[in-house]
Amino acid sequence: MDPSERPMRIGVYICHCGLNIAATLDVEELRRFAEMLPNVVVARDIQFTCSDAGQNTIKSDIAELKLDAIVVAACSPRLHEPTFRRTITEAGLNQYMLEMANIREQCSWVHMDSPALATQKAKDLIAMAVAKAALLHPLETESMPVSRDVLVIGGGVAGISAALDLANAGLRVYLVERRPTIGGYMALLTDVFPTNDCSICVLAPKMAEVYANPMIKLMTYSEILAIEGTVGHFRVTGVTKPRYVDPTLCKGCINECSSACPVEVPNEYDFGLGKRKAIYMAIPQSVPLVACIDTNACIGCGLCAEACPADAVKYDQQSEEFKLDVGAIIVATGWQPFDASRKEEYGFGRYRDVVTTLQIERMLNAAGPTRGDVVRPSTGEIARSVAFIQCVGSRDQTVGNPYCSRICCMASLKNAQLIKERYPDADVSIHYIDIRAGGEGYEEFYLRAQRLGINFIRGRVSSVEEGDDGLYVHYEDTLLGKTLMKRYDLVVLSTGLEANSDAEVVGNLLGLSRRPDRFFEIAHPKMRPVEAHIDGVFIAGCASGPKEIQVSIAQGSAAASKAMQLLFKGEIELDPTVAFVDREKCIGCRLCVDTCPSRAISVKDTAFVDEARCKGCGTCSAACPVDAIEMRLFSDEQILAQIRAATAVKGEYPFIVGFLCNWCSYAGADLAGTSRIQYPTNIRIIRVMCAGRVDPSFVLEALRRGADGVLIAGCRIGECHYVSGNLHALQRVEVLKGLLKEIGIDPRRLKVAWCAASEGDILARKIEEFVEELRDLGPVGTELAAALPSGKV
Amino acid sequence: MSGAKFTEEVIRLAGEEIRTCIQCGTCSSSCSTAHLMDNSIRKLIRLVLDGRKIEALASDSIWLCTSCLLCTVRCPRGIRPKAVVSALRQICEREGIRSRDASFERIFMDQIRSMGRISEVLLSAAYALRNPDAAVPIMEMGIELLSRGKVSLDPGSVKGMDEIERIFREFENE
Ligand SMILES: Cc1cc2nc3c(=O)[nH]c(=O)nc-3n(C[C@H](O)[C@H](O)[C@H](O)COP(=O)(O)OP(=O)(O)OC[C@H]3O[C@@H](n4cnc5c(N)ncnc54)[C@H](O)[C@@H]3O)c2cc1C
Ligand code: SF4
Ligand code: SF4
Repeated sequence: MDPSERPMRIGVYICHCGLNIAATLDVEELRRFAEMLPNVVVARDIQFTCSDAGQNTIKSDIAELKLDAIVVAACSPRLHEPTFRRTITEAGLNQYMLEMANIREQCSWVHMDSPALATQKAKDLIAMAVAKAALLHPLETESMPVSRDVLVIGGGVAGISAALDLANAGLRVYLVERRPTIGGYMALLTDVFPTNDCSICVLAPKMAEVYANPMIKLMTYSEILAIEGTVGHFRVTGVTKPRYVDPTLCKGCINECSSACPVEVPNEYDFGLGKRKAIYMAIPQSVPLVACIDTNACIGCGLCAEACPADAVKYDQQSEEFKLDVGAIIVATGWQPFDASRKEEYGFGRYRDVVTTLQIERMLNAAGPTRGDVVRPSTGEIARSVAFIQCVGSRDQTVGNPYCSRICCMASLKNAQLIKERYPDADVSIHYIDIRAGGEGYEEFYLRAQRLGINFIRGRVSSVEEGDDGLYVHYEDTLLGKTLMKRYDLVVLSTGLEANSDAEVVGNLLGLSRRPDRFFEIAHPKMRPVEAHIDGVFIAGCASGPKEIQVSIAQGSAAASKAMQLLFKGEIELDPTVAFVDREKCIGCRLCVDTCPSRAISVKDTAFVDEARCKGCGTCSAACPVDAIEMRLFSDEQILAQIRAATAVKGEYPFIVGFLCNWCSYAGADLAGTSRIQYPTNIRIIRVMCAGRVDPSFVLEALRRGADGVLIAGCRIGECHYVSGNLHALQRVEVLKGLLKEIGIDPRRLKVAWCAASEGDILARKIEEFVEELRDLGPVGTELAAALPSGKV
Repeated sequence: MSGAKFTEEVIRLAGEEIRTCIQCGTCSSSCSTAHLMDNSIRKLIRLVLDGRKIEALASDSIWLCTSCLLCTVRCPRGIRPKAVVSALRQICEREGIRSRDASFERIFMDQIRSMGRISEVLLSAAYALRNPDAAVPIMEMGIELLSRGKVSLDPGSVKGMDEIERIFREFENE
């Protein structure tokens, strides 16, 4: 007989877990209870179900009793679900034909003083698991062939290290850089902390390696225009802008053409300190070593073309579009400096001798505009006294940047040292709030600066004024408690790092989210440092926040290694526990499109879920007004069956049905168990992937079936595993509360709780509170009875 | 009021952000009267946060603030140092604490009551008489100002003196 036609055959295995479960729960009674449940063919109690012996029992039962689904009542599925999935696969069942009842972390360990009530709760939990198991379907994990090529956007030090690591591992890389050369800011710096080696000297060989590596296709002066598709197959369109110089002919001599050019403009690679011609080379070490004509400056005189001995200047060059198909994308778009003129009180742009740290980096650079001299721009004389003002545009709410830029303390320590070494008699001061030198060798670097005689003045500068003989800096020396004023030849503003506005388009095309500080947000602020929220997209370097070179390189390598893991096999497995659309029911309202945090849904007449993108949170399913979106696991039908099984007996009062998200609150409830935090037995917990999965119909069904209260718990706001699922849950709860009120049910019967996976105690306390609140409210329906004049319902 | 209660009271009056002060001194170095103050505005905030009520309320900085608000515009933490000053003034008022130099206020108010306005010359003279330490610099400045015609010996007259007297009476009755 076809198994789909006969009733489901379920085996239930109740674990003693030594005494962990058996000391509190009456395991024999549970077994007898389970045996009587519909569809259950066999129920056994086992000392340690996860042991080899336990697993073998399950396997032989599957074979001998022709079981279709297995329920294991034991510890948390977060612990042993993978184990038992493997067990049943070995016995020939599909891995998704398993359901676990969590009778240890969420029962025996948290109700140690109420064995009778706990045993009743465990019975409910087992009945709920059996009800769900009867509705399980085998799910096939499909694999999809992928492109093994990777796109790296941004050729700063982070992008360069990602590209080289990938290429050296044998993957093809497209490195797209919007400027005429790669290298990013590092290529413009002087010596770099903490070792004070020459920046370009250590970077240039890497840049050359990029150029020479046959696995890297370098596309400079190029931009991304469109990105479609998902992990494994991103279809990318971009454009290479015309340089008006043929790269195959240009010898990179630059002198011939640029000395012929009559137009001079401020050089953006010197941050306005020096000048360049309309035909120029960004830096002497440019990669590729090809000249470029700045069309904004060029007057079209034709002199460069005449001067070029290689005939490389081509005024008719056109922009070229390119198309790529890549499996993964690494975003390494870096940062931009804070605009110092926004802090008017410091006079940048008004006083010529007020400069930024980037300008001082260029002055100190032997190849820079002053050939390494530190001068007062107003006179061209060597500066004999120099002030560094820290935290300009960082740690400052008045300009909307409350964050610390992390590298500027070290950069000023470095530049102050370089000045002091070059001009030992110079008076060099650093005006700071706190010196942040946290990194290997950084405190030692600070020490070195102090020993060199640099003056450290604690107090943020309030303003800079220009006098006849120099610049006057106003500050309070907060350690002396004196408000003071000091004269300097040169004032250097230690400007902070901001999110790069050049990366906005790329961010929007990819659907990357941003933190409040406007940098790209990573998937988890600690545990997933280089992953974006979108599968197959990684972020490295300053694109995700200010960081020094060492960390930018480490992130470039980390992102490369993540991309390798993903693409190396040439195919990726798709998690089948995703959403799908019933196209008959879908009315094309697009509500789901906006709720999906993974941007997996598109609508053409009806909605379509891109299964490679979907992460299975189920927020869309709960949002759909016509129930057209279903989940392959955690389906409506399964969850409703769990609710009905939970409320079948209602062995205590008040009775609560709880929906807990897998990542934080369910994990928190497990932690309450492992920490043996005791709370009342009144709650029956249903595990969902996200609080956003909770459909209003679940809540109504629970109350209709006599639950006195419903708890929805998720990750703390702002920490949702799926970014915004809990926010959707919150919105829905607000609406639902209004509805409850309208139908005469006290809205306080629906409660939300946000807790982290580490906050088992908070969750336990919330449950305790809720039980008390419900006790005050009386059994569900009391309010209806009270509302009727006759007192009858 | 205990130290902790004092801190809470100032925070209630001047805003939660005070707790986030990083003691950077932007407020004090923006302040036009900082050089006259015993405790800088920054230090005043520290005294408040540490519950040092007596020191804070005894500080003449509270009375020297001109309410120019430059501190408030520039504070990188969004604190309103001026609001702290106002809060401390309010608490002083409530607890009957006067500025160390209360004689100035008294002379000032007496002149308003009797003439309807103040005369810089008479005010300075009366103040100098009571504060011999200050007499010499005041006289020096007075002569300079007089010689340049910046102040006049004639206080001039004011209309509605009876109204002014009524205001004073009303205040006294309160
Ligand atoms: C004054 C100063 C001094 C410093 N000194 C030191 C030091 O001594 N030691 C140290 O360790 N760190 C130092 N740093 C920090 C260092 O500059 C950064 O760590 C480094 O630049 C980060 O590299 P990145 O690749 O992430 O970004 P970036 O250097 O910003 O590179 C990003 C690249 O991406 C490109 N790009 C941007 N948008 C796009 C787009 N849409 N499409 C294509 N390409 C794009 C940019 O053109 C750029 O080439 C200093 C920083 C400052 C401000
Ligand atoms: S690194 Fe130093 S200078 Fe830069 S923002 Fe942080 S504290 Fe201020
Ligand atoms: S400016 Fe603001 S943060 Fe700085 S000391 Fe004053 S109150 Fe504190």
